[in-house]
Amino acid sequence: METAPLTPMDRGLLRLMHVRGAMAGAFLMAAAAVGEVFVDGLAPLPTGLLLGAALPVLLYLALLAPPRRYRAWGYGMDGEELQVRRGVWVRVQTVVPLDHVQHIDVSQGPLERAFGICSLVLHTAGTLHSQIVLPGLTRAAAESMRDEIRSRIREEPA
Amino acid sequence: MTEGADRHLHPGTIALRFIKDAPQTIFALPAAVAVSSKSGLTNALYMAAGFGVVLLAMKWLVWRRFKYGVGAAEIVIESGLLHRNRRSIPFDRVQDVDIERTFLARLLGLAKVRIETGAGGKDEGLLDSVSLAEAHRLRETVRAHRAVESPAAIAEAAAGPVPRILFAMDPPRLLLSGLFNFSLVYLAGVFALLQTFDQFLPFDIYDPARWVGLADEYLPARWTFGAIAALLFVAAALGAIAGVVRTVARDYGFKLSLEGDRLRREQGLFTRKEAVISRRRVQLAQVGGGPIRALFGWSGLSFQTLGAGTDRGGRQGAAPFATQIEIEAVLAEVAPLRLPGPLELVRVSRRHIVRSLAGTLLPALVAIAALSYWLPLAPVLLALLPLLAAGAALERRFHRYALADDLLFVSRGVWRRRLWLVPLRNVQSLSLSRGPIQRRLGLATLAIDSAGASMIDAPRIVDLRGEIAEELAVEISRLRSIIASEAKQASAGSEAGLVVASLPAMTAKDQASGRKSGTER
Repeated sequence: METAPLTPMDRGLLRLMHVRGAMAGAFLMAAAAVGEVFVDGLAPLPTGLLLGAALPVLLYLALLAPPRRYRAWGYGMDGEELQVRRGVWVRVQTVVPLDHVQHIDVSQGPLERAFGICSLVLHTAGTLHSQIVLPGLTRAAAESMRDEIRSRIREEPA
Repeated sequence: MTEGADRHLHPGTIALRFIKDAPQTIFALPAAVAVSSKSGLTNALYMAAGFGVVLLAMKWLVWRRFKYGVGAAEIVIESGLLHRNRRSIPFDRVQDVDIERTFLARLLGLAKVRIETGAGGKDEGLLDSVSLAEAHRLRETVRAHRAVESPAAIAEAAAGPVPRILFAMDPPRLLLSGLFNFSLVYLAGVFALLQTFDQFLPFDIYDPARWVGLADEYLPARWTFGAIAALLFVAAALGAIAGVVRTVARDYGFKLSLEGDRLRREQGLFTRKEAVISRRRVQLAQVGGGPIRALFGWSGLSFQTLGAGTDRGGRQGAAPFATQIEIEAVLAEVAPLRLPGPLELVRVSRRHIVRSLAGTLLPALVAIAALSYWLPLAPVLLALLPLLAAGAALERRFHRYALADDLLFVSRGVWRRRLWLVPLRNVQSLSLSRGPIQRRLGLATLAIDSAGASMIDAPRIVDLRGEIAEELAVEISRLRSIIASEAKQASAGSEAGLVVASLPAMTAKDQASGRKSGTER
């Protein structure tokens, strides 16, 4: 499974991950700030403790974690199947036989649009991984992959 | 298609639904009134009668507006009081016609017909209820149509749909199976029932003094060896009886027969259930059961079918209590499946034991350390830790796999033993995952996804050595694509007019493309 070198995702995904991480971190900071106000009256905690604890988390989520997560992603398609690799802590490699794909979505959220990327979603009849999501493809790449997979599905005898 | 819906359900349906709904609708509110106000029982009875009339009228109206009809190529169902709905189900899309008869329905000579299209939703075409004769007529109509449409079915029709019994349970087998279904859980169920109705009981079942008192009356000394033995014996006897009763109610007259391309299963004492499983929808087989019945050579067989509806997809019991030879026979008839040889299966990596200990030993140690803070005796529990290790070793002993030509075998579980037989052509995707501990130990888990699998009961080979896992995944991919291209050639041949033995090798895509268009109707 490791044999073929896999294609990395579009750099837009990395930027998107930074932004998403920063947003999650900012949300945490806001929660910590609210917490500061409430805790202040209740317990004799030093001021800024919660904010101080949240700051490294923000930095981690926004700056450190995204590059690792981005590097973990990769995909490769030969004629018959699609390989997807993902995950930092639990590394997962998935192989999907293309003739088992039921239908295909190309989706793009507002943030993804801002960074010029799309997600390709393959639906199989399986239940554990009935959706295989490939985030961070350029629109052109996603559409050409979709068309290729679609043509393969058509070749199958109905 | 303009054939109208020209038939009503059986009028007995009104009675059936009335009886079903009466308790919660007619009696609930009047009962509440009777309890809350002192004005008494008569008012409540009048109220109940009034509600009853309204309910009956409603049921009648619903019955009147519900019509169905069988056209040349489709079944039409019209329903709804205000929001009218007309549904057409083309015969082509009908996967199964199921007939189910509850105890009440059997008394009235009725049957519930479920027309399944595989569209994933519930109640795609539910006729609740029609007469039994009408139910059979509907099924025959759908089948006759299929016989015209598909060439495989023509052969089937020519051969005559002679049902052949693949597996049946006679009463002795049923009783034996019941004994192995020994269960104390159902005793707990009895207690739960008692709890629900405890205001009607002349005593409080949760009054410990009462139970101790009872014990005192019957047992001269409270905890003698004899008393404990007697208690255990009574509990065991009750557990066995509970198991037998439950099994008899569920599996009485169990019969699995093959009619052409379909499996038909009948079972049940009070509620007689009949299900039809298309052989082509079978994705994989699972053989399993508890360790004690395995010791005596008994196990159960079920098939996993391509999901359709909430209650039908997933596992379908095919032989609840059978010998290996009987299971082999059923497998050979239904799909090109077989049981693995005794020496064929190999174990996963030895480090599986290390990893499962890493997962259990540490929490156990922490728990014991925490306990010993309060209980000075807690460190005695450390003596139990070797049991964990033994358990992990035992787990590995029963976790085996093998790849043989077009089949993958995976067996797992000490208490609930399961053996999956997965035809490679039905593999939907493969996933190789490595957690942090697994990476340290050089292990990987291979998960095999198939259509209709449940989340917890899917075949996974846990803790293979990394290189072996990768080789296995590559090999499965390779064999699978060879099988797929062979199937493609075979079906191309049949399109060219050649007669090819009807393979149940229809890919899941074909089946589910039917499912998809079913949704679009």
